[in-house]
Amino acid sequence: MIAELGHYALVLALGLALIQGIVPIVGARSRDPVLMGVAGTTALAQFAFVAIAFTALTLCYVISDFSVVNVFENSHSAMPLVYKITSVWGNHEGSMLLWVLILSLFGTLVAIFGANLPLTLKANVLGVQSWIAAAFYLFILVTSNPFLRLQNAPLEGRDLNPILQDIGLAIHPPLLYLGYVGLSITFSFAIAALIEGRIDAAWARWVRPWTLAAWICLTLGIAMGSYWAYYELGWGGWWFWDPVENASFMPWLAGTALLHSAVVMEKRNALKVWTILLAILAFSLSLIGTFLVRSGVLTSVHAFATDPTRGVFILAILTAFIGGGLALFAWRARMLKQGGLFAPISREGALIFNNLFLTSACATVFIGTLYPLALETLTGAKISVGAPFFNATFAPLFIPLLVVVPFGPLMAWKRGDLYGVAQRLLGALATAVIAIAVTFAIAGGGSLLAPFMIGLAFYVMVGAITDLAERTSLFRVPAALSLLRARGLARSVWGTALAHFGLGVTLLGIVFETQWGAERIEAMNPTQTVSIRGYDLTFDGIMQRGGPNYRELAAKFTVRSGGVVIGILEPSKRSFPSRDTSTTEAALMTRGLSQLYLSLGDPNPDGSIAVRLYHKPLVLLIWLGTVVMALGGALSLSDRRLRVGAPRPATPKTALQPAE
Amino acid sequence: MTFWTVFTLMTAAAVFAVLWPLRRRDIAVRSGSDVAVYHDQLDEIERDRAAGLIGKAETEAARVEVSRRLLAAADSAEVAQSVSDGKPAVRRRRAVAVAALLLLPVGAGGFYLSLGSPGILTEPLAYRLNTPPEQRSIEGMVARVEAHLERNPEDGRGWEVLAPIYLQSGRFDDAVKAWRNVLRLLGQSAEREANLGEALIAAANGIVTAEAKAAFDRAVAIDANAASARYYLGLAAEQDGRREEAAKIWRDLIARAPADAHWVGFVREALAQAEGKPVDNKPAAGAPGPSAQDMEAAAKLPPEQQTAMIRGMVDRLVERLKTDGSDLDGWLRLVRSYKVLGETDKARAAAADARRALAGEPDKVRRLDEAMKAFGLEG
Amino acid sequence: MTRKQRRLALIGVSLGVLGLAAALVLSALKESIVFFNSPTDVIEKRVAAGTRIRLGGLVKPGSLIRGDNLLIRFEVTDGNREIPVTYRGGVPDLFREGQGVVAEGALDSAGTFRADTILAKHDEKYMPREVADALKRQGHWNEDSGKRTGAAGPVRPQ
Repeated sequence: MIAELGHYALVLALGLALIQGIVPIVGARSRDPVLMGVAGTTALAQFAFVAIAFTALTLCYVISDFSVVNVFENSHSAMPLVYKITSVWGNHEGSMLLWVLILSLFGTLVAIFGANLPLTLKANVLGVQSWIAAAFYLFILVTSNPFLRLQNAPLEGRDLNPILQDIGLAIHPPLLYLGYVGLSITFSFAIAALIEGRIDAAWARWVRPWTLAAWICLTLGIAMGSYWAYYELGWGGWWFWDPVENASFMPWLAGTALLHSAVVMEKRNALKVWTILLAILAFSLSLIGTFLVRSGVLTSVHAFATDPTRGVFILAILTAFIGGGLALFAWRARMLKQGGLFAPISREGALIFNNLFLTSACATVFIGTLYPLALETLTGAKISVGAPFFNATFAPLFIPLLVVVPFGPLMAWKRGDLYGVAQRLLGALATAVIAIAVTFAIAGGGSLLAPFMIGLAFYVMVGAITDLAERTSLFRVPAALSLLRARGLARSVWGTALAHFGLGVTLLGIVFETQWGAERIEAMNPTQTVSIRGYDLTFDGIMQRGGPNYRELAAKFTVRSGGVVIGILEPSKRSFPSRDTSTTEAALMTRGLSQLYLSLGDPNPDGSIAVRLYHKPLVLLIWLGTVVMALGGALSLSDRRLRVGAPRPATPKTALQPAE
Repeated sequence: MTFWTVFTLMTAAAVFAVLWPLRRRDIAVRSGSDVAVYHDQLDEIERDRAAGLIGKAETEAARVEVSRRLLAAADSAEVAQSVSDGKPAVRRRRAVAVAALLLLPVGAGGFYLSLGSPGILTEPLAYRLNTPPEQRSIEGMVARVEAHLERNPEDGRGWEVLAPIYLQSGRFDDAVKAWRNVLRLLGQSAEREANLGEALIAAANGIVTAEAKAAFDRAVAIDANAASARYYLGLAAEQDGRREEAAKIWRDLIARAPADAHWVGFVREALAQAEGKPVDNKPAAGAPGPSAQDMEAAAKLPPEQQTAMIRGMVDRLVERLKTDGSDLDGWLRLVRSYKVLGETDKARAAAADARRALAGEPDKVRRLDEAMKAFGLEG
Repeated sequence: MTRKQRRLALIGVSLGVLGLAAALVLSALKESIVFFNSPTDVIEKRVAAGTRIRLGGLVKPGSLIRGDNLLIRFEVTDGNREIPVTYRGGVPDLFREGQGVVAEGALDSAGTFRADTILAKHDEKYMPREVADALKRQGHWNEDSGKRTGAAGPVRPQ
């Protein structure tokens, strides 16, 4: 009964979505507030019903109801409770349900917090949002239904893929989905604006919090996924330029560009057409990310052949929303009026520069990800486009962008003073030069690229601080006054500085890890010792352990530094009999911001065991930087300016108060 | 509350969500507008100027720009104010209400009934595990024992219960693992070793592998009368082409058999074949050493499937011989299989391959030549 | 500058950056893509020694030999042809006899494939897709095992 209730709730949500997709938009056209008002309650009800469906499926997992096919295929009664719950979205069907749950949640949030929106815009946004929802409900019910049942329930489930039985995976997909789906709101806003044929600076401000929230989640989600790959796959890599990763990275690049272009639109009423286009593209990339990864099409064209209904449905949804969105854009974009003027050297110019390079970088990733697929479809030749391709295309496009980052916030609107800004950035430049010289000296010659990148990282970080220092007139006025000014600064200013600072931090981590990481692969026998970067690891022995649904071969290593024991590392290999697979559990030891990384290979016939040992200097900065970026985003989101504009109790402040 | 009551309530809630906003005749709806945003932007410019973040000229320019937007927005807001409450509006609202009342329940209900299975009850694992044993399938019992062993992998008796079931249900690799565990945990016995051997044969698609043979040897060493082990040793000899030896083992086995042994007839049959003429007309018997059940199963198969079964074995054999060419017994089996399939050319080619592979071992080559004579494939 | 000139300048700069991106993509594609080959492909196409390729197939059962110092030798087969492979280093979890594998490296003059990477595809299928395709082409795809691994579920739900 639980599963059936969930199933029916989902069908009802579809019904409501269809109504919400039509009625409010008709209401907006005929300016009928009553019809437009329908959007609010139906959005809430939709969310409630999807929540019922999701809870029902989760309950089925918790009680191991294997009469539900989806539960049978992805769960096992012996799994710990937390993984029973996370298995809900550890498979295609369940993850799509999570997707619509978040989609309807965002719809509800717009309905609740959208009181500052004009009535027609709100109705149109919720209507468009509902089209997306309806398409997804239908997709789930028809092709990926998690509520299908088995007449005779099997006694045991097939278990969740062991590699997914990890807490990192519990948080990663929901975060990523919050990001993907958050961009759907921006898309709906863009389409609604095109339907109304009116778009202005106010639009950018209304969209900003949603884009920002999506961006924060996407940032954290990608970072989380990267850290998960780092410690779970046992290879010490944190970014593989794998299609799955690229699929989440592309919306991030487009979303970042969108955040910046929306600033120009909000302040100067310019770049309107471009911003709308970016909003459509960012969500299109999210859709591609969700679908192509989920459906397995990115990894094989044959996924379409094995499940034609699903494949055709996916193509239809992609065509409808991406194609439809772009067609509407092409038709209505001309109606948008030109915005404010500005000189090439200006804040606007810097932000355009940012957009140009971000979108170009995004395009190269797009090509690298989809080219093999296209080539295979056209010629049948199979190629792999790996990390070398992305390093060779992405880095040259990202470096100029990083050089310009500190200029942006310091530049004035309309007409900037390049020389003046450069002068104010002298401190950052000096720091960069010192960093380059110091690294070059310590590294003892060799390639100049690594010291240069270190310098760039410092330049970006100090540049971000310079912006704050300038705005608070630090060191030029008494400290107390600076402090007062710092307090008076808008939070979005702090947010910008923090996010840019985080970018530098991440870059620093990346350069250190890739340039000065150490790696050893050895076959070791018990009592042997291996050394890396001043750490001595002694192999104490191997033990067998049992877990709830796996068995584990763990090796114990004592770590010494300068003869003193500083800890124990216990990497292991787990084997999961129900799936007949094994996973590698790497052992990590954090020393400051660096990590020792140890993972086990296969035991050899002579009793020795293969061991992979890495020293990863400052590796934690990579993820720390992304957290700082996300914090910057959160700070910016909490800026009161994003909340104002909501109708306040009538304050007859100016003569321009409109008649109500 | 029954199932259907809940369904009805849910439907009612959905309909209500649409009808609720329609109940209002006309309302002063709270609505935001871009005017508020521009007011705020003006305030902001003022604050920035006060903080000294922007100069006087810039302040003025920005203020003019925002004010212009503000004016435009206020104009369009006035135009947008017209709220229609005429007849067409009322008609539209009624249409929506009717659609929600009729289409939503009917559409959702119909769609659900076409997709869902309202008849199947929730079956939590705990509930199913508590149902009386006679209502449970073999599969269910296996799952229970497996779950138990997952927690107590050192329980040998559990493995011993499970192993024969694995074998019967065709999970040969699992059966091998299970018997190995039994032997490790409960110690050796002739029967267990023989069972392991049998599982290994099944896993190797009927071929008595060296590993299986070793198990049977151990079984016989423990108990010289271990009947099934001895039968399979005979089979091993037969598969290797040592038919005389096979016949001897089986004759011996029959001689020592207790009077009521039900397997005697089966061994006699095998013996008769080993002693008798080549068995061209019965391909299944030519297939290397299937177990008793396999024999029965194979005999029931249509001829083309029998051939397919042999083909499968042959392919595997070829693969193996490519890596290990020194296996004379394997070569002999291959040659014989080809002969059974009526492909004498391939049989000869295989013999030639074998000679090449065994070139360093004159002993084996001689035995190969002898066997070829016995196969009637000389030259 | 007039509005029109500014717009032209903007378009010019944009085209410049896009051109740069396109040039980077083209040059990188030329240099860094690696073709995937099955053992049959390698033999039939006479892939030259020293050309970097990906070799995919099954690790031939019984062919895996572990040597000293993490050196391993095995044969990759697609059911038709085999190619001997040597590799030094750690291998991924799912590397075992009878399982799919993708090795990256080049042939040496003796026809042995010297792999420098054995791929740990953290893919949703345990069978790397190129391998599955190659096997299907050779008619050695076992639908049953394909289904079983296919049902294993995605590794990174996104």
